[in-house]
Amino acid sequence: MSAVVSQLGTRTAVAARDLVKVYGKGDTAVRALAGVSVSFAAGEFTAIMGPSGSGKSTLMHCLAGLDTVDGGSVHIGDTDITHLGDRELTRLRRDRIGFVFQAFNLLPTLTARQNILLGLELAGRKADQAWLDTIVDTLGLRERLDHRPTELSGGQQQRVACARALVARPDVVFADEPTGNLDSRSGAEVLDFLRMSVRRLNQTVIMVTHDPVAASYADRVVLIADGALAGEITQPTADSVLAALAHLGA
Amino acid sequence: MLATILAGLRARAARLVLSSLAIALGVAFVTGTQVLGAALDANARDGLARHARNVDARITVDAAEPGQSTLVSPETLAAVRRAPEVAAADGRAYREVPLLDGAGKAVPAVAVALETDQRLRTADPVQGHLPTGPTEIAMQDRTAATRGLTVGQQVTLLGTDDQPRTFTLVGTYQQALTRSSLYTSDQVLLLPEALAAFADQPGFTEVVAVAAAGVSQEQLVRALSAVATQPGVAVTTGAAYTQQLLDTFGSQAGQITYILTGFALVALVVAALVIYNTFTILVAQRTRELALLRCVGADRGQVFRAVLAEAVAMGLVAALFGLGGGVGVSALLQLSLGAFGGAAVPAVRTPVSLTTVLTALGVGVLVTVLAAVLPARRATRVPPVAAMRGQPDSSGEVARTSGWRVAAALLLALAGAGALVLGGRINNETSITVTGAGTMLVLCAAVTLGPLLVGPVNRVLGALPALLLGVPAKLAAANAGRNPRRTAATMAALMIGVTVVSMVNVVATSAKATVDAEIDQQLPADYTITSSLYDRALPTALADQLAALDEVATAAPTRTGDIRVDGAAENAAGHLWLMGVGDGVIGTLVRPETATGQLGSLGPDELAISEQAAKRTGLAVGSTVPAVAVSTESQGDGPRRDLRVVAVYRDASGLGDALVGMDTFTGLHPEQTGYDSIMVKLADGVSPQAGRAAVERVTAATPIARIDSAAETKAELGGQLDQLLAFVWALVGLAVVIALFGITNTLTLSVLERTRESALLRALGLTRGQLRLMLVVEAVLMALMGSVLGLVLGIGCGWVMTESLSSAQTQMLFTVPYGQTGVLLLGAVVAAVLSSALPARRAARSSVVAAMATA
Ligand SMILES: Nc1ncnc2c1ncn2[C@@H]1O[C@H](COP(=O)(O)OP(=O)(O)OP(=O)(O)O)[C@@H](O)[C@H]1O
Ligand SMILES: [Mg+2]
Repeated sequence: MSAVVSQLGTRTAVAARDLVKVYGKGDTAVRALAGVSVSFAAGEFTAIMGPSGSGKSTLMHCLAGLDTVDGGSVHIGDTDITHLGDRELTRLRRDRIGFVFQAFNLLPTLTARQNILLGLELAGRKADQAWLDTIVDTLGLRERLDHRPTELSGGQQQRVACARALVARPDVVFADEPTGNLDSRSGAEVLDFLRMSVRRLNQTVIMVTHDPVAASYADRVVLIADGALAGEITQPTADSVLAALAHLGA
Repeated sequence: MLATILAGLRARAARLVLSSLAIALGVAFVTGTQVLGAALDANARDGLARHARNVDARITVDAAEPGQSTLVSPETLAAVRRAPEVAAADGRAYREVPLLDGAGKAVPAVAVALETDQRLRTADPVQGHLPTGPTEIAMQDRTAATRGLTVGQQVTLLGTDDQPRTFTLVGTYQQALTRSSLYTSDQVLLLPEALAAFADQPGFTEVVAVAAAGVSQEQLVRALSAVATQPGVAVTTGAAYTQQLLDTFGSQAGQITYILTGFALVALVVAALVIYNTFTILVAQRTRELALLRCVGADRGQVFRAVLAEAVAMGLVAALFGLGGGVGVSALLQLSLGAFGGAAVPAVRTPVSLTTVLTALGVGVLVTVLAAVLPARRATRVPPVAAMRGQPDSSGEVARTSGWRVAAALLLALAGAGALVLGGRINNETSITVTGAGTMLVLCAAVTLGPLLVGPVNRVLGALPALLLGVPAKLAAANAGRNPRRTAATMAALMIGVTVVSMVNVVATSAKATVDAEIDQQLPADYTITSSLYDRALPTALADQLAALDEVATAAPTRTGDIRVDGAAENAAGHLWLMGVGDGVIGTLVRPETATGQLGSLGPDELAISEQAAKRTGLAVGSTVPAVAVSTESQGDGPRRDLRVVAVYRDASGLGDALVGMDTFTGLHPEQTGYDSIMVKLADGVSPQAGRAAVERVTAATPIARIDSAAETKAELGGQLDQLLAFVWALVGLAVVIALFGITNTLTLSVLERTRESALLRALGLTRGQLRLMLVVEAVLMALMGSVLGLVLGIGCGWVMTESLSSAQTQMLFTVPYGQTGVLLLGAVVAAVLSSALPARRAARSSVVAAMATA
């Protein structure tokens, strides 16, 4: 199987083709994704935007192998993940994907440091100490490493989640509204870090967001409406995103 | 509000079912014991009623002069029969008569005289008929079953002259299943004239009479009082007799029900813990719902009542199920008691009284409500703003109350240990109550301290699985330790059962080890021949015959008897239980440990005395003391001798207070013609089989001779011990089952509570298998915590018990049954794995995305 390569010659990190996801059956069936084809280049920071209920979270879950699809395919790197079993999917998530969720990112029983290293430990891998130090210092978590999540602010918790997502240098980081629960300053810190990881470390980040300002940190914005692709914006600014969203009727 | 409660109940039905089961089991046990008690009572009453059936007057000898017989004489019976007021009269008598078993060996049995008048008979035939001739015998069905005898076969009894007498078994009869069914000995029925042949003195324990038509019981009593001129007789009415029987029965009431009730209590306490935990978790999980209720205007009282009402409803439903289950439990217990007796199972009775029903419902509801009060109070403290907060944090804070906990636990533990020591010291029936209370107090201390113990214990126990199984086990340990109160309550339920079992186990094993060690140490004989009948000694010729055997190296006879050392007059302290042993026996077959002096062989008038007896009488090595024999038969003084103390030995239960040579003994007790026991040491190189065969050949002619080998004695003890332990296990098993329900319950609720957490872990790369493993390890950790603490407590309490049971004569050897302890731990682990199966399956099955969506 040949690698999926975009026209520009950069490697494609994640690609979806004709992705279909239907919730429910019969009358109550909801087509959350109605044939979405989209690809995300390696080393790119992409934001997914769209009105509420448009299928952003569903798309992300399907791309990340958290949910099964009803049609089409998803590739992560060379791997077609649509036919993988639960065990392989789990291993794939563990080894090649990082996650940052909107809330409840951390295990309350573990300290910040343990939370950051959880994925690596599950994989039985050692952390790259220098890399860990870089992440921890960049995110300003040094003083907080031995605290438990309940002793951390919402912004700190999200930064710990970012650190965990990046410490294993995954092929791609998925973030579902990572700043949804944060004030603008804390949000900016988290977004800065995500952008830095893309710029300096060539990390691939795919982020679902509602916030045009957050989207403006990305290299590209993919717009979704009613379970289908509704355009994209490269080099987005808060204003251009807002305009595009207004156009979608969000 | 009611609608809200009912809706809540329906919504949580599945979660409540598990906890309801715990209560239902506890109630079933309470009901079961009550119904069983009532059934046994009814049976016993029937049995007693048979004794008093048709009896209008009863004559006994109540105030016999010293030296006078306590039996009603045949002359009195004859006089009674002659009285015109009497329609029929019978003497009731029984004798202890040795019964020869299949191997020709004597076993103690009781022979009862059959009443001649039909109306006064107490036995109900089961098979065949009751004896009608002097060579006929009937046997209690249980006895027939255990002896493997059937109607038509020959039964041999041993006469007072040691001559066998043969009877034909013509029928079996049944006695009501009573509490005494468990320990009464073999019983046979003979005609009065046949029984007379076995009696040293004629007479009857009681004479019962039926009044002639038109004669009242009082008139009959008056008439008989005039007729019965034997000194010391008392005549009572049949009514008074019935009452007296019932009173006696009442006073010896309840051993079994009493003990069973104790275990039912344990089961209920455990069930209460499970319920308490369930409500605590439910309240924690419903923080938002309750807060929402508060937001829309419910006041604290309403929230409190809502939670309690839920408990009442749950308790009622569970109690009803428990009631039904209890009747079944009682029927099962009756069947097994019947089977224990070896007899045909008598009709199972299940008398359910109103009291039983009310108790079941009351206990079920009360326990549930009590267990729910604390969580309900906690529910009232949920502030309305909690509705707006995110994930409810249900981890309990324990550090705040740790000072109080430690203080309370210390007090409870001290009181408990005190009660245990006391229980070991007291020498009557209250001992078991005091010991039980002590154990309960110690358990209360542990339960109080529980939340503080969870942290450290969990860290220690969690270390090994974390090392072996990696991340899932680490997460499991963290989860087990995250809510100390919840974990403490869960493991406490198991701890209680394990404590009780291991304590009984340690005490029983220690007792056995103590006796074993004594047997090995002091009586190293291969076989000991004793008389199977208390009052018949072995013939002296037997010792010579045994000694003459090639296979036997030594056959050493012993005699025992009472002496009084001078200066102590009638004082009990001056009495010594003396044992006479043959030459060359000390140091080989009798090996007391010498404290002072020399104990080689005992010459004429030389005495070796035990430490305790030496202290009591003030004798020491070198002192000479005048001694006088005390005969058991005549109560008079026997011969006198001056005895010289040559050695003092450490106390040993098998050796009496003092040892003398056989000649010295005979000088003191010349009336003893037989031997108490003959110790046999086999010659070198003789196999146990050959040795036993030879010994049996010689003893075959002496029916009363019983061969005990040290190994057999120990095995027998072991068997008895296992029976006791099996019984305790069966009873405590219920508490353990409830506790395991508790683990399943806690885990299920925790899994629900941690749905999002599990989803996060799955997203991060925890496989389904690892998630399951995590929950299994958590369950195992909780079970291990419970059983390890239970073992520590149980063994600790056992140690306190053995120490307090130890006296100067017997130092109990504190022995921990490591094998069984290991099996117990293993069992706990396996059970924990099983109890985690359901919640683990459930957790692993849910999809990551769906789980993530739940708030
Ligand atoms: N488990 C589910 N069962 C049924 N329908 C679902 C389920 N999850 C999502 N949907 C539906 O699928 C559609 C897409 O949902 P999705 O959560 O992807 O939207 P979204 O774009 O992330 O919205 P938001 O911005 O509000 O988070 C919606 O119409 C939603 O109702
Ligand atoms: Mg969404």
